[in-house]
Amino acid sequence: MSEKPTKEKTADLGDLLAEPRVGQLPAVTRGPIPVVQALTVGANQQTPAVGQRVTRLDIRTHVTGSTRYIDDLAFPGMLHVKILRSTQAHARILSIDTTAARAMPGVVATLTGDEIPENSFGSSYQDQPVLAVDRVRHQGDGLVAIAAETEQQASDALAAVKVTYEPLPALFDPLEAIRPDAPKIHRDNNVYASKVIIRGDVEKGFAESDQIFERRYRTQMIEHVPMEPFAAIALWEPDGQLHVYSSNGRITLGRADLARTLQMPMNRIRVTATFIGGNFGGKNEIRTEPILALLAKKTRQPVKATFNREDEFIASTTRHPIIMDYKTGVADDGHLIARSVRLVLDGGAYASWSETTVGKAAILAAGPYRIPNVHVEGHAVYTNKTVTGAMRGFGAPQVAFAYESQMDEIANTLGMDPLAIRLLNGFSEGSISHTGQVLQAVALEETLLTAAKRSGWMEEGT
Amino acid sequence: MRSFEYLAPSSLNELLEVMGDRAPNFKLLAGGTDLLVDLKHGPSGPKLVMDLGAVPELKGIEETPLGLRIGAMVTHSQIQQSALIAEHAPAMMAAAATIGAVQTRNMGTIGGNLVTCVPSLDSGPVLVALDAQVTVAGVHGRRVLAITEFFVGPRQTALAPDELLVDILIPTAMLGRATAFRKFGLRKGQALALVNAAASIAVDNDRIVEARIALGAVAPTVIRATDGERVITGRSTDDVGALREAAAVAVTETRPIDDFRASAAYRRELVAVGTYRVLEEALALATRS
Amino acid sequence: MHQVEMMVNGQVRRAEVPAETTLLSVLRETWGLTGSKLGCDVGDCGACTVLVDGLSVNACLLLAVQVDGQEVLTIEGMGGFDYLHPIQAAFERLSSIQCGFCAPGIVISAKALIDKNPHPTEQEIREALAGNLCRCTGYTKIIEGIAEACRAPAITDGISVTESGHV
Repeated sequence: MSEKPTKEKTADLGDLLAEPRVGQLPAVTRGPIPVVQALTVGANQQTPAVGQRVTRLDIRTHVTGSTRYIDDLAFPGMLHVKILRSTQAHARILSIDTTAARAMPGVVATLTGDEIPENSFGSSYQDQPVLAVDRVRHQGDGLVAIAAETEQQASDALAAVKVTYEPLPALFDPLEAIRPDAPKIHRDNNVYASKVIIRGDVEKGFAESDQIFERRYRTQMIEHVPMEPFAAIALWEPDGQLHVYSSNGRITLGRADLARTLQMPMNRIRVTATFIGGNFGGKNEIRTEPILALLAKKTRQPVKATFNREDEFIASTTRHPIIMDYKTGVADDGHLIARSVRLVLDGGAYASWSETTVGKAAILAAGPYRIPNVHVEGHAVYTNKTVTGAMRGFGAPQVAFAYESQMDEIANTLGMDPLAIRLLNGFSEGSISHTGQVLQAVALEETLLTAAKRSGWMEEGT
Repeated sequence: MRSFEYLAPSSLNELLEVMGDRAPNFKLLAGGTDLLVDLKHGPSGPKLVMDLGAVPELKGIEETPLGLRIGAMVTHSQIQQSALIAEHAPAMMAAAATIGAVQTRNMGTIGGNLVTCVPSLDSGPVLVALDAQVTVAGVHGRRVLAITEFFVGPRQTALAPDELLVDILIPTAMLGRATAFRKFGLRKGQALALVNAAASIAVDNDRIVEARIALGAVAPTVIRATDGERVITGRSTDDVGALREAAAVAVTETRPIDDFRASAAYRRELVAVGTYRVLEEALALATRS
Repeated sequence: MHQVEMMVNGQVRRAEVPAETTLLSVLRETWGLTGSKLGCDVGDCGACTVLVDGLSVNACLLLAVQVDGQEVLTIEGMGGFDYLHPIQAAFERLSSIQCGFCAPGIVISAKALIDKNPHPTEQEIREALAGNLCRCTGYTKIIEGIAEACRAPAITDGISVTESGHV
């Protein structure tokens, strides 16, 4: 135990920042990190704002159709970019020939991955190429970007690009992908992010339980389908500064990723975010921005790329499907004694926000219930499928489906009211979460009772 | 969209002449709700698109000595709002109301819908239940076909490359015939039918004297369930069990597929339920009048 | 190339366009009326909804040449920052809209409904919006907003806002 935790923490952070992973980022110095006081119960009580009707600041331009989204912007001489995507789920790229495409009407420039200074990005691991060069890992990997005078000309030119592939065995099932003999999608292990949470002794807990419930639950892949497809514009200002307009919800990360991929200082990059027509986690990373920056540089013209709906489905991220194995030991009176959970997240072809997702799914996997013995492990696994990443809740909705389904099954078998088993086991004020956090302002019981009354499960006034 | 030549002929003769010259290298543009999607995202575009919007012979709903004539370019919204349809064939309104959404019904036409000839075609079953006929025209003349002859296979009609659908006729004998329609989709709005069903019933002296059952999305085209029809023909209008029997027999006449929308087994369940309901509703209408 | 001329929001607009130009693209790209949005490009989402001769249509599925000589109403003709149509005012009061991308199409669809049926039931409102997708709101506040707008005097008197925003 350190006597000066605050100072030690500063030192840790300082070490991290001394070796920035971002190419030419300037070093950052910071003062000590302030110690954050735990909130008191009083501080967590509802503010008067809850339940009040407020007028959104941005709504008037929305309802009059005058809000400008990226695709509503245009610049003189602006070119349009389309991206050729892999037709293979997993293949070695033998050759890419853009000669014929470059001669197509209206085509001004093409770009391939080997022209990108640092051709990789990703929020946790930089394992995703901006444009694939030697290998494609899912149908949706970009291969060639074409800038033309019109979108149609750019689309037509894509058909003239010749790509030859050598197909590789593809994995579509994460349970197959975790087998030791499975073909490897990146490096030497398809499991690329894991989280383990252990509390008490789960085997001992099972031994002490009267009944054991086991079930596998699965959820499906979900696309965010924002109403506004992803769009970006890049242009170079007269002073040599890169200016990118992007429907990216995390412009600071986007700027860092641009600095890294383009190998240029971040202070020469300006990212303008306007209104975003729906994000839900699907617009939290760069998509086309480095490509557009390089094509704008090549052509000396502003360039724009707007995803069509197909691009949005195959080349943005999606919600992780999770295969969830639950085993729960209970006493005959309904008390939960032990729960083990194994989560296998279909991580798709690249890591994206999987590390965050596996973490959050694991932390929440045992549910808002007092269980003395818990063992959770979550693994994100590469497959040759659409990339999975951030989406509302980062894995929380998937595990909620599993543990709440199992609670119903337990209640049903024990002959208990599903509400009663939740009230019996639910977190209350001062409960310790599965990761050791002392919980404050816990309103689970109140919430359950209110929901039960309003839904008619329980009579009002009981 | 790729470029194409655009013509908007102002008469049927002018249209047929160009069709005769240019077949099969053109596409006809009716409501555009399918064609525009194909033109944008389909593999290759046509050289010529001919807009049918200015051809007067394809428009209008009117009573003729032979029956009720509905021009191929009549939109689903116009069917929903037509007093003549309301009087003579109200089940067509019920079917039209289930197609797409308001915007697609304002644009999409009954002719365009029939010509796509997808198995789930929502305007098909009621027309089959009403024994509709279609007029098709080409540069060499006109033909009249039963609607069931018009449907050949999935996305395949009896039209020759230089022919088009001109109008639909509900024969006089079927006007006012008690008819019902049901559609089952994964949701209410903008859904493709998992199963759709229509039935028409004629009653005389407390007996069912004629019945037609039409089913969609459970075979390569909209089909008539003639075995099911035979089960109830001649039965008493009080014989509730007859409708269940007919529905069960109708199931055996279908060939539903498994796809991502529904399993074949589920579709068979829907056929049983849907057939029973349309028969029940048509019978109630028939006995009321 | 084809000459097209149409009355857009009460103003005559002309353009010379290739046949394959959609109504949506001539509105957005030629005339700068970017309020109508391209969401799906296949007529499912309704973000491009406009009125043509009073009927709501998907501007992404119409060729500009098909609309030659007709009247078009877009969101830009539905009131502006300083003068809201009752539907827009109700949406603002109820915070019916979140990201805003679906709003232009929804306002137009709601107007098409109210023009024909000034006192729609909730079910009729839902049916009128079947062709307008929203991913943020779950529609509840949008439906409430339209219902509230129908209680506004301007609607119940049968008056609606014109292109210039004056009733």
